[in-house]
Amino acid sequence: MIVKDWCMFCGECAGVCPRNLIEVKEYSLVFNDEECKDCSTCVKVCPVTALEKD
Amino acid sequence: MIKTDVLVIGSGPAGSSAAKHAALGGADVILIDKKSEIGTPKRCAEGVSKAGLADLKIEPDERWVTKELDGVRLVSPNGTNVWLTSNEIELPEAGYILERKVFDKYMAMDAARAGAEIKIKTLAHAMRKEGNAYIVTCEHMGELFEIEAKIVIGADGPESRVGRWAGLKTATKSTNMESGIQFEMVGLEMEKSDVIEFYFGTVAPGGYAWIFPKGKDIANVGLAIITKKTGKTPYEHLKEFVANCPATQNAQAVEINIGGDPVGGMPKKIYGNNVLVCGDAAGQVNPLTGGGIISGMKGGMYAGKVAANAINKNDYSEKALKEYDELIRDDIGPELDKYLKVKEYLSTLSGSELNSIADAFQDIDFEKVSTTELIKSLVKVSPKALLKLGKLI
Ligand SMILES: Cc1cc2nc3c(=O)[nH]c(=O)nc-3n(C[C@H](O)[C@H](O)[C@H](O)COP(=O)(O)OP(=O)(O)OC[C@H]3O[C@@H](n4cnc5c(N)ncnc54)[C@H](O)[C@@H]3O)c2cc1C
Repeated sequence: MIVKDWCMFCGECAGVCPRNLIEVKEYSLVFNDEECKDCSTCVKVCPVTALEKD
Repeated sequence: MIKTDVLVIGSGPAGSSAAKHAALGGADVILIDKKSEIGTPKRCAEGVSKAGLADLKIEPDERWVTKELDGVRLVSPNGTNVWLTSNEIELPEAGYILERKVFDKYMAMDAARAGAEIKIKTLAHAMRKEGNAYIVTCEHMGELFEIEAKIVIGADGPESRVGRWAGLKTATKSTNMESGIQFEMVGLEMEKSDVIEFYFGTVAPGGYAWIFPKGKDIANVGLAIITKKTGKTPYEHLKEFVANCPATQNAQAVEINIGGDPVGGMPKKIYGNNVLVCGDAAGQVNPLTGGGIISGMKGGMYAGKVAANAINKNDYSEKALKEYDELIRDDIGPELDKYLKVKEYLSTLSGSELNSIADAFQDIDFEKVSTTELIKSLVKVSPKALLKLGKLI
């Protein structure tokens, strides 16, 4: 996952991730890319379109 | 390894309330939050009801109340207004507008005064069950360490992971997660400065837009939408709203806030062996307004009390913790269900139906009018809207 530098770490993506794979730190996001099934739910809910699949 | 009776993860309103009540009940409590400053950044329009604070026995403090309000303005898609005051109707989030950055910190301070130990800038990174306890791996300034807790209270907000680490089905469906975005603005020109304003229709598909005044010419101007219901991003919707709303023509943003708001109601199960979940993490949010400060703090209060009882009795089983579920559902369950129904009803209405309802209600004196009369005026303007209402109730 590409996290754009305007991400504000609100964590909405983590709350909707069906597999609980996103860790929201204070100033960074950590994705467990290995287990990600590319459902893109996180990408779609982001209020500022800061996520992009790579 | 650090050992404690109760570990509360997340120091928002729900977590601080949980930590305070668990500590007051005699338990050893640790309260952690990943933030370097509790309460900042905010993900909130900051409205709370006076009755809600009173229920929680929290005295309003001038350090965190920015504005006292009395009333609501509802604006339909074509701009028709319905004005309501609290004498007329019970208004969920229209009492005070807070300064959440100060409020959240104060609630954490109350928890500390009650005896909880706070660890800031401390992230819960993973969690595993060992015997009759949970071991939580935490991260602080690059250092990993473990905390063993007899009971973990997950108060980790809309980004919640704790419940799911414990095997509870607390994920929020994307159709139940409103995407919120807000400017705090200066230079507002509002018709009345002591009411909160809600705007419905295409300005915010699946949700609404709001203006919550914070005193002088300052206000939170924002909206929350269901992203699946629109082709535009929340930010595009907000910029459009601000460009078109008469009150914001000369206003400027000094802050931008974003965040998810879980509006699907409480998941079926919010407790298990050695674990309780409260606040946004447990869907303790008014499904219509998106307000979750008071309901989350009530969840925290019951979670804290029940956890302390369980510690005193040396029984942290699911059976012992079930009382939490009963207490919170008795208290806020009926209200959440009621607002969920109203929300479902509103979502069935078209823009023109919303307009005709607003038109019928705009001159009504709600204080004097009975429900029967309300229904009579609704049947006159929009029989279809009434029919839909009938189907729901
Ligand atoms: C745009 C918007 C407007 C809103 N307006 C209102 C309103 O006007 N009135 C109202 O009542 N409600 C409103 N809400 C909802 C309200 O903000 C929430 O319901 C409320 O903050 C919930 O409190 P909480 O304690 O459950 O969660 P939060 O306040 O989100 O606190 C959770 C805390 O947990 C911490 N955390 C999360 N994960 C971890 C981890 N792994 N380790 C350590 N710490 C962690 C976070 O840093 C955070 O401090 C709004 C929400 C949004 C998005």
